[in-house]
Amino acid sequence: MAILEVSELRSRYSSRGPEILKGISFEVEEDDFFAIIGPSGAGKSTLIRCINRLIEPTSGSINLHGIDVLSLNATELRKMRRHIGMIFQEFNLIDRMSVMDNVLSGRLGYVGAIRSIFRTFNNHDIQRALELLERVGLQDHVDKRADQLSGGQRQRVGIARALMQEPNLLLLDEPTSALDPKISREVMQLIRTIATELKVPVLCNIHDVQLAKEFCNKIIGLQDGIKMFDGPTPSLDQSSLDEIYSMEVL
Amino acid sequence: MQTSSVPLTVDDIVRLRRKKQTVQFGFYFILFILVLWSIQATVIDDTDWERIGSLADIGKSVSHFIGIDFALIPNLLGPTIETFMIACIGTILGLIICLPAMWFGALNVTPYKPITYPLARIAMTLSRSIHEIVWALIFVSAVGLGAFAGILAIAVRSLGFIAKMSAEAIENIDPKPVEAIRAMGGSNLQVMLYGIMPQVLPVILGIVIFEWEINIRRSAILGLVGAGGLGLVFFRQMNTFNYPGVTTVILAIFGLIVVGEITSHYSRKALN
Repeated sequence: MAILEVSELRSRYSSRGPEILKGISFEVEEDDFFAIIGPSGAGKSTLIRCINRLIEPTSGSINLHGIDVLSLNATELRKMRRHIGMIFQEFNLIDRMSVMDNVLSGRLGYVGAIRSIFRTFNNHDIQRALELLERVGLQDHVDKRADQLSGGQRQRVGIARALMQEPNLLLLDEPTSALDPKISREVMQLIRTIATELKVPVLCNIHDVQLAKEFCNKIIGLQDGIKMFDGPTPSLDQSSLDEIYSMEVL
Repeated sequence: MQTSSVPLTVDDIVRLRRKKQTVQFGFYFILFILVLWSIQATVIDDTDWERIGSLADIGKSVSHFIGIDFALIPNLLGPTIETFMIACIGTILGLIICLPAMWFGALNVTPYKPITYPLARIAMTLSRSIHEIVWALIFVSAVGLGAFAGILAIAVRSLGFIAKMSAEAIENIDPKPVEAIRAMGGSNLQVMLYGIMPQVLPVILGIVIFEWEINIRRSAILGLVGAGGLGLVFFRQMNTFNYPGVTTVILAIFGLIVVGEITSHYSRKALN
């Protein structure tokens, strides 16, 4: 059964600007590790940000767990977003806060105004943050400031923060682009293991085709806002890759 | 007239240089006349030369100020502390009234751009374009003589600088943490607290400490218009022609400012 159904999604930044997404449709199932590949500027980042409405699509529909995402008001949208974990290309951590505070900030959607002013999180949350930090291998860095960590470590904090939300969908926006090939594999491996364990579907932007083939079970290929390929990973052959990346070959 | 494609001869170059030099000479000549005229109008005509007398008389007048009035020193402790407190409380109060101004005045967070943004910018400009002495006069007439008027004057005068620099710091933040907090379902308040504040807090603290240092200078003279502190003692000494007393007050002000500068230097260093 499909967890996430996207149909005929269109997006443009300004009313006269070019259309970034030109009618994209796809479905993500419960146990999918779903990759979106394509050349730079194809609309991968825009597509993934439309799912949690960091970018407002101009038309189309998004259905997540039976909820029509595009019809939600601001409060309902915040409620929905707290169940969508997002992992970013540049990690998007709060540099001047500790690793612990960064992971705890994943609970912000559940925390009221007063408690967020004083940064008081309940013991259960702190316990869970410690467990997650151990799970991603950062138990020795709990009290360090986030900007003192290496790239791979920072992305692990990002993973722990996303998991702190108890997500029922993970959005990954180029999670490995800022990392070297070895660390990239480790990070992808970690995300896949945890996602399988917690039974969370993953939707992942990735420009590294090799990584996509290694870790994802389904792939769609975008080119200039149009879906050029949609299918299980084994069916992605050289000719479909040529088609997706044809602009770049020129 | 020759076209520009023909190469210039020596004569041409000499002629061009002479022309340029004539224009330059004319410019400096006019400037010189203007300066002479200003001196004539503002210094020569406008000064009471009879009152100044000879060069020796000037020396004599200035020498009145040499010396320290030791009898005054015990009476300076209270006003010195008062001046210091006016600067501290005025800066803190200024920071509090700055908070809405920097929120409204930063383009990326201002709640309603067509109204709140110009409102904050006008307040900042107004605060800076009126001198602290004038602010003090206004508040002395509003709340009466004493330190409270000085505190209000300092607070309002601080708004311009603190709010403007802080608003700029907010505009220059890295938007990535903000995006992360939006994505996890954070409210606008949480975006402010977790996405923006950690980035701008050290900058704002640095600005506030710098402004506090300037405010010590400002509060030292506010007493001239009755707003409390060392300025008031200074004014009294001047009025009673106790020139060594004036020097003593100036030395006290100097000492206080040096303390402020040292504190400011080391505390801003500790921020980084």
